Amino acid sequence: MRLGQELRLFLRQRLAVPTLVLLALLSTVSVATGLWEVRRQTETIARIQPLQAEEEKAVSAWVSREGDAGNAAYYTFHATWDPPAALAFAALGQRDVAPYVLRVRALALESQIHEGEAYNAELALSGRFDWAFVATFLAPLILIVLLHDLVSGEREAGRLQALQAAGGSTGLWLRRAGLRLGLAFVALGAPFAAGAWISGAAAGVSLAALGATALYLAFWALVCLGVGALGRSSVANGALLAATWVALTLVLPALAHLLINSTIPVRQGVELTLAQREAVHAGWDKPKDATLNAFFAAHPEWRDTPPVLTGFHWKWYYAFQHLGDLSVADQVAAYRRGLEARDAWTARAGWFLPAVGLQTTLHRMAETDLAAQLAYQDRIRAFHERLRRFYYPYIFNETPFREGDFAKAPRWAEDG
Amino acid sequence: MSPVLRIAANELRLLARTRVAQIAVALVVALSAVAALTAISQGRESQEIRSRFQAQADREFDGQPARHPHRMVHYGHFVFRPLPALAGFDPGVDAFTGSTLFLEGHRQNSANFGDVRQSSLLVRFGQLTPAFVIQALGPLVLIFIGFGALARERESGLLRLHLAQGVGARQVLAGKVVALAAVAGLILAPALIALVWLALFGGAPAPAVAMLAGGYAVYLLVWVLITTSVSALAPSSRSALALLVAGWAVSAILAPRLATDIALAAMPQASRLETDIAIQRDLKKIGDSHNPDDPHFNAFRASVLKSYGVSRVEDLPVNYRGLIAMEGERLTSALFDRYAERQFAGQREQSRMALILGLASPTLAVRSLSMAASGTDLEGHRRFLQQAEAYRYTIVQGLNRLQAEALTFSDDTNRNRDPEAGRRVRIDPGAWRRTPDFVYRPASTAEALTAALPGLALLGLWAGLAGSLAWGAGRRLARGAG
Amino acid sequence: MPAPCSSSPAIEIRDLCVNRGGAQVLKNLQLTVNPGEVYALLGGNGAGKSTTLAVLMGFLRPTSGTARVTGLDTASEAAAVRGRIGYLPETVALYETLSAYENIAYFLGLSGARPTRSEMDAALDAAGLQAEARTRRTAGFSKGMRQKVAIAMALLREAPVLLLDEPTTGLDPVAAADFNRLVSGLRERGTAILMVTHDLLGAADCADRIGLLAGGVIVEEARPRGEVDLLGLHRRLGEAATG
Repeated sequence: MRLGQELRLFLRQRLAVPTLVLLALLSTVSVATGLWEVRRQTETIARIQPLQAEEEKAVSAWVSREGDAGNAAYYTFHATWDPPAALAFAALGQRDVAPYVLRVRALALESQIHEGEAYNAELALSGRFDWAFVATFLAPLILIVLLHDLVSGEREAGRLQALQAAGGSTGLWLRRAGLRLGLAFVALGAPFAAGAWISGAAAGVSLAALGATALYLAFWALVCLGVGALGRSSVANGALLAATWVALTLVLPALAHLLINSTIPVRQGVELTLAQREAVHAGWDKPKDATLNAFFAAHPEWRDTPPVLTGFHWKWYYAFQHLGDLSVADQVAAYRRGLEARDAWTARAGWFLPAVGLQTTLHRMAETDLAAQLAYQDRIRAFHERLRRFYYPYIFNETPFREGDFAKAPRWAEDG
Repeated sequence: MSPVLRIAANELRLLARTRVAQIAVALVVALSAVAALTAISQGRESQEIRSRFQAQADREFDGQPARHPHRMVHYGHFVFRPLPALAGFDPGVDAFTGSTLFLEGHRQNSANFGDVRQSSLLVRFGQLTPAFVIQALGPLVLIFIGFGALARERESGLLRLHLAQGVGARQVLAGKVVALAAVAGLILAPALIALVWLALFGGAPAPAVAMLAGGYAVYLLVWVLITTSVSALAPSSRSALALLVAGWAVSAILAPRLATDIALAAMPQASRLETDIAIQRDLKKIGDSHNPDDPHFNAFRASVLKSYGVSRVEDLPVNYRGLIAMEGERLTSALFDRYAERQFAGQREQSRMALILGLASPTLAVRSLSMAASGTDLEGHRRFLQQAEAYRYTIVQGLNRLQAEALTFSDDTNRNRDPEAGRRVRIDPGAWRRTPDFVYRPASTAEALTAALPGLALLGLWAGLAGSLAWGAGRRLARGAG
Repeated sequence: MPAPCSSSPAIEIRDLCVNRGGAQVLKNLQLTVNPGEVYALLGGNGAGKSTTLAVLMGFLRPTSGTARVTGLDTASEAAAVRGRIGYLPETVALYETLSAYENIAYFLGLSGARPTRSEMDAALDAAGLQAEARTRRTAGFSKGMRQKVAIAMALLREAPVLLLDEPTTGLDPVAAADFNRLVSGLRERGTAILMVTHDLLGAADCADRIGLLAGGVIVEEARPRGEVDLLGLHRRLGEAATG
């Protein structure tokens, strides 16, 4: 078969096998580090649950003596976590800087939900060596090495005319380019497939990720062929392709980032936390009736509970905590819209910048992008709502909170 | 004119007549200029926003009404990390750390709202700053322009023609180095202008500016020497290009990421949540203020009573609740400091390990130098966190002291039962205004320069390596010219 | 620097042996070229022609024996020797983005010379490069035009010795004849010319002596003017190349 012949010819080239082995090696190392990181995250999540249970027991030990539900709600943290998706190993994304474990209390949520993770910013600046990185940045370079002299190499070796005379035409070059592309894809994709199998990823999403990567590599192969068709020397092709690579994977994405972040400023994060603090703490100085009435407008079901007569009552305290959150709801929404707009424009940029497109696609599939981070926050918000609604009956009906009640509190479920 | 200068001048004349070289240099100079302009204006803008927010937070703190001091402990304070003047040149980790911190009693919050969590994935593609342009793109342009400097002339026979004029091979090599160094100077020029501008009008310290200018000049010189040497040594211009681009990819793209993963794998750090829990547990071991029979607080009460010579807390001349608050804060803060120290030490170890890989990458070396001299390295963020924590402790203890001294124990105990007591515990808001504002003390120039030393040393090592490579290449060229 | 002795031969090779990669490329080569003499060195591939030139230019050190150019030892005084040699490689390399004038000014400048425009014109006239080509970039120059530029450089440097490497290979017959006429003209100026070629007819046309190099030694020497048996020489050239 002619393809077999081409394969033998190709593999006998000096740079062919080392280049492919290098790509396979880089891909394997990236998959291994990704799997290691995902296991570390999973272990952390598993580790915090017993820790959290002990914490709760310690709180319960002194709170249940007095049975004050307000104390229970104030002192009990509730763990939430965002387990890595099956493909997270391939694209670690934002999980290094955004927390994937977070504790919340039934207090105002906006002062808790933006909490960050403790990480080494210098290392975050460099980024992770994950499979998405190898596929996006290194695989095109490997393809350039394999394809930049496809035609020009034959011409420089003096074989071009002979090949053309022997009936070599577009078909020949496509066959040869396809062969190189295919081998590079296998070298890149096989370790990923193994990683996906190990982490138990669904076949559908794994294949989709491979498909996106194949398209990306095909794009670069076409660029190589297109540059080759200009008829320049191998060295000129190499230089032109490397310059194209720099433009498409470094310069233009950085420009796009600059453009997107400056046209869509996102300052509401700081503003809303400042405003929320004011709203919450102003609660101490406002008449209690005003606070409670405002709260009852949102939660009429507690309107008919016994009125607050003393100087301090948890009812009132939790009411203004919640009102603090409500007062910045618009800013929270605007903040989120800003973040989503940045993400949406990035996705649009991905249509023109293949490297951005592949990164966006892979991180979406791996559920490690900004959208996944926001989705985790949504689940925390829903969970926090359940927490509040769990504690309110005890607080508003002034029901004692006993040891057994701790076990009744809502638990974080991974499916949200 | 000496032959070396003549060769260099001719090389530059040739480059000036080559369209590809013109475009490459023009693009990188333009990019560098755009990066410098936007980085400086964005840096100034975000500094303005931060100082505006800081002023707002200060104003709001000062403007709080009469309150129980403990309310203010929980009202807390916001502090913002100011941007150093040179962040316009190299923002370093600024985007990757939160820039604002909420300070309150007996809690340590994280610095939040860093750009990295507010940006899409694009932030991972690198930021277009003057530092990035020179670190990553500068060498690449030098490679594109210089890979053929000797290889192509050897292939075409022009090298022999030079030698036939009685010029030594080393002189040819030196001439090409001088010419490529001139190109490097051109690439560096917009960044240098930006640096000088920052020094003159932005308040950037001159020694740090000199260090940056020198560091980047050495960095580009390293690439000039490597490029010219590889061009002299490689069997063909094509393999010179391949070798150089591969070396660049390893240095600028691969090594930083590999360094991250190696450092994280070798020294993983606990998550914030685990640290919080660990602090809580340690705290309970020392003293549990919720436990009426806690040995630590019993001993504390006994010692307080003894030192005032009274037998009941009610008889103390100060508010015992305030003293308890101070003691509690002292305990938690000591733990915060201990854990933060441990975390900082761990991160320093990680960064040091990653920097060691700078042995394989001059880009890592210059990046370390650049961030340190610009005051935008991790150390700068740590300094902010430590000063903010010290400030937190100061204002919280100040408020606790007010609680101890300005309030009576009986008022404080009965404030929720007795409306009059409840009114008396709300002290005059002048106390909030008297609380000092947060003043961030940035790294002194000496500290910044000291922090830049490891990077400088690595860069020096690279310069030595590149220099000896060029020397060896000259020898090979002279010997193998036939 | 020892002063060259005017009475000595321009090129003098004595007992020259060169080993390269374990093989003996030149074996006791003897060769003398006097001022005003054109010597054509003929031989097949691998006969040692290029090696001889490389030794004369000082690019290659002899394993034993000596090579002198105007009395200077090529091994120990390579730089000075190169200053006395005008060298034309098989394909003359020029900077394509520079004009003929600029190329000449640059390369001469490397040895400190600063020829004026009229001096360059005189040399280019002698070399035969048409005036309108002189300000053009050399990118489109034919091999013959490039040679003329190189010869102009040699003339300007007043090089007493000219080394020509396959000068007529790839030239069309008219250009080759043109070139051979140019060489004859240079001889009149007193230049010693060593020409490496496998163009027997061309060599016979302009050389004073023809040496047949085979296996690292000169197996036969002939004076084309007069008694040379061209056909016989041609046959022996073929034998030497195959044998």
